[in-house]
Amino acid sequence: MSEIHGAVGSYVVNGLDPDELDQFEAHLAVCPTCTREVKEFGETAAELSLLASVTPPPAELRGSILAAISQVRPMPPEPPPEVAHVEAQAPSAAPAPQRPLDELAQRRQQRRTRILSVLVAAVMAAALALGGVVYGLVQSRQAQVAQQEAATELLTAPDVQTYSTTMKDGGQISFVVSKSLDRAMFIGKDLPAVGDDKRYQLWTLEGQRAIPDNLVAGGGDRQQFFREALSGVTGLAVSVEAAGGAQQPTPSTIQAVTEL
Amino acid sequence: MALSARGHEEAFAELYDLTSQRIYGIILRVLRSPDHAAEVMQEVYVEVWRQSARYSPGRGSVIAWLTTMAHRRAVDRVRSVSSEVARDERYAFHRSDREIDQVWDGVEQRLDVERVRRGMASLTPIQREALTLAYFGGYTQSQVAQLLKLPLGTVKTRIRDGLIGLRDALGVEA
Repeated sequence: MSEIHGAVGSYVVNGLDPDELDQFEAHLAVCPTCTREVKEFGETAAELSLLASVTPPPAELRGSILAAISQVRPMPPEPPPEVAHVEAQAPSAAPAPQRPLDELAQRRQQRRTRILSVLVAAVMAAALALGGVVYGLVQSRQAQVAQQEAATELLTAPDVQTYSTTMKDGGQISFVVSKSLDRAMFIGKDLPAVGDDKRYQLWTLEGQRAIPDNLVAGGGDRQQFFREALSGVTGLAVSVEAAGGAQQPTPSTIQAVTEL
Repeated sequence: MALSARGHEEAFAELYDLTSQRIYGIILRVLRSPDHAAEVMQEVYVEVWRQSARYSPGRGSVIAWLTTMAHRRAVDRVRSVSSEVARDERYAFHRSDREIDQVWDGVEQRLDVERVRRGMASLTPIQREALTLAYFGGYTQSQVAQLLKLPLGTVKTRIRDGLIGLRDALGVEA
């Protein structure tokens, strides 16, 4: 295998330096093997990207993007579509009723709409194949931007540790902890409902002492940072308390205790 | 006409809703700056809108098309602003495999994420590290070579082998 083939992986992850990029693209144009690998690795990298999708985009971005595209004209499909053809014929077709440009534009619009619908259908099919994940992602709640950034920082901290456990009521939770950031986060997946007048309450433990921390509503997926810093903390716990929170955990409602 | 234009925009909005979290996730991971990430998101989706009629299934899936475009633009942005954005190279370098695995454990335990995570776990540590630094870190292969203190040729091979291993583990079909 010549050396240039070997660059195909770096090419797909956009890791080539500019001079090598030109060289590789010239090679790619004439190499069916590399063309196939670029396509396969492109699909592979798309799956790899799933590992990064912890953060929904800021909600306002959607509106801003939709506003932006309404000002931008989509490019016609390649090769140049029937437009040129029709316009070229227009002079000789003059006696015939003029083909209204509006109609033409409308046909092009409809065609683009169809193409976009196909794109949407393709993505939906892929989503179903992935077990509805993409759809699930769309449904997931839009958290506050600041919290998302902090959550990403925590999840990618060099010393992050995750403690996953099942609560007494069956809820699946994780405590994500970084000592270097001095922070911990509670993640609840599809939490049981606890009623409007109750909340999950987080606790930091220092030896025998439980220090009340933030409250989390029941039901659905939840993320909540601990308020307390971690120094001196020996464990994390969660209980169910009245909506206003408690100063001491109610022993019978303690859901999970994790030692750090 | 207005109606069909509106239908077009609605279809695009749907495409955005289906893909935006995934696309934003990778952009943010590479850029590590929500401000830059938002700008690149906008660039990417406007470009998708412009080129939507030029997408061809023969070249790969829609999500791969979007992800490739997003990753490329995120990496371009990182390289053009790398002096502004504080990127601690040592941070990425010192993360052990175990720690990287734990990062993924912290992400909601979705089936497909789990599948990809297992695929990554099946790679050798150097393949995984090289691929992670290049893809999520947005480093060039020469930078990865410096970070890992390996010859460039080795890094190149490891990145490709990593993608081959992951492709086979995931059963990706082109």
